Amino acid sequence: MNPTETLVPPARAAGAARVLRLARLDLLLLWRNRTALFGVVGLPAFFAVMLLVSNGNGHTSGGIDAVLWTATGDVAFFLVPAVFMNLLNVFTARREELTLKRLRGGPLTDAQILGGSILSATLLYLAQAAVIVVIIATELGGGLPADPLLMGVGMLAGAAVFALLGMAVSGLTPTAELAQLTVLPVLLVSMAASGFMIPLEGLPEGWQRAAQLTPLTPVVEIVRTAYLGRDYTVTGDHAELGALETWATCLPALAVLAAWIGLSLWAARRWFRWEPRHG
Amino acid sequence: MESDKVVEVAGLHQRYGDFEAVRGVSFEVSAGEVFALLGTNGAGKTTTMETVEGFRPAHAGTVRVLGRDPHRERRRIGGQMGVMLQESGLFPELTVAETLDLWCDLIPGARPRDRLLERVGLAGQAAVRARQLSGGQKRRLELALAIAGRPRVLFLDEPTTGMDPQSRRATWQIIRDLAAEGVGVLLTTHYLEEAEQLADRLAIMHRGRVELSGTVAQVLAGSGDRISFRVPAQVAVAELPRLGGDPPRITATGGGPAATYTLPGPLLQQSLRELLNWAADRRLELAGLQVRSASLEDVFLRIAGRPAAEEARR
Repeated sequence: MNPTETLVPPARAAGAARVLRLARLDLLLLWRNRTALFGVVGLPAFFAVMLLVSNGNGHTSGGIDAVLWTATGDVAFFLVPAVFMNLLNVFTARREELTLKRLRGGPLTDAQILGGSILSATLLYLAQAAVIVVIIATELGGGLPADPLLMGVGMLAGAAVFALLGMAVSGLTPTAELAQLTVLPVLLVSMAASGFMIPLEGLPEGWQRAAQLTPLTPVVEIVRTAYLGRDYTVTGDHAELGALETWATCLPALAVLAAWIGLSLWAARRWFRWEPRHG
Repeated sequence: MESDKVVEVAGLHQRYGDFEAVRGVSFEVSAGEVFALLGTNGAGKTTTMETVEGFRPAHAGTVRVLGRDPHRERRRIGGQMGVMLQESGLFPELTVAETLDLWCDLIPGARPRDRLLERVGLAGQAAVRARQLSGGQKRRLELALAIAGRPRVLFLDEPTTGMDPQSRRATWQIIRDLAAEGVGVLLTTHYLEEAEQLADRLAIMHRGRVELSGTVAQVLAGSGDRISFRVPAQVAVAELPRLGGDPPRITATGGGPAATYTLPGPLLQQSLRELLNWAADRRLELAGLQVRSASLEDVFLRIAGRPAAEEARR
């Protein structure tokens, strides 16, 4: 027996404990940073309240109650504030204040340092999505997700894409103040092209196809289709779907997400920086 | 244990683009030894430190910490290294106690938090947020983090910058105690007194190279003794005698020009006699007459090639 091999399980346990410890740290620091807290928690909370306020206004989107449409879109859209904007701010500010570098000077691996922040952002996102699910089930009459597994896969794949995009864009952001600016391209594209609130049905087909290639759109397609059990992909006909049909319908969206994971991983490797350019 | 060397650097080169920041640096640090890297700003000290700490791979040459490559094998030795970076890297919104708690949770077998706070003299600041600490207090908290994991090797990049003299002395004592416990310490400093007080051995770097290294005594030996005085008003600089064959170096001071002779050790007494005879013949009073052995500062300034303005010794 190689004695080092017997040490692997405790080391892995210690690794998991460290990631959890860092995730807890991130939540504490978010709580103490009121500006960030407003964006990461306040914005989704506002969206949630808007659902309750506009419930029963009689509008429809894509053939269903517009509030239910938006609510299922929110479950995907919260990736942007909770994961993307959150991590962009965290990584940029910590690079500037040299805490990323400092953490690297200890016994932590790079994966543990990044994993702690990504885990806390993902947990925050899942908690926010859970609140929306409760609102859908109890207030909007939308029931529970028809295919929770597919919905979960879409949400976690989306979390991976937006966490990696947050890392990549933070590498291109020189200071924490400028993060307010560099956040815009991804934010605006995600708001305009994803159909999370406003359906894309009115757009020419070419535009619809293009919109399906942006990073948030496939998450919205998967979440809404998986939640409601009907084909709510951008060009979908809203027909009711069987269990396997749901997955088959979402296959193109899953493929786009997989491509985005690859692309954003490449971008994060290319641009993410641990230390300021001068220092 | 195969060797008591905790740090081995041989032929280290490091470049940023076209600029070669470190050009062939070699040194070793043993367990229980304090080794100081001195040098001007831009001499390559911090680049050397950060390479040894594993933040970047060596461009050429070898670096070993506890027998391993600190960049590629950081996971295996990270727990046995204590690092204090030149710039702080504290979470500004965490209190002193929370900062230490974080590190103690992340490091297996860490020292108890309250003992650490006492050791670095921050017990009274436990509830203060890091951003509210003074520069010296931040350095002391950083030191506590660096030693929290009972490291076998400690890297300190300008550890006492911003500290008041009392904290500086307390910090020196902490470093001495750690070395006495067998920790190998590699530190950089701008304070020559710090190197003289702490270092068993030191290296003076200039423009990416080690210009001189050894014990303090070895480094000072061979850099000569100094005789200096203020040039009397009635004497022209050209009339000053040559001692040991060389004319004096003239520098401007607040009290007028000063002359300094640098003499190899054996010539001191003879040269001083010649100087005093010369002055007696002319009935001159040599104001500010000083005879002293070389200090680390003299060696440092000579290597750094600064205009040798004799700074007032504190």
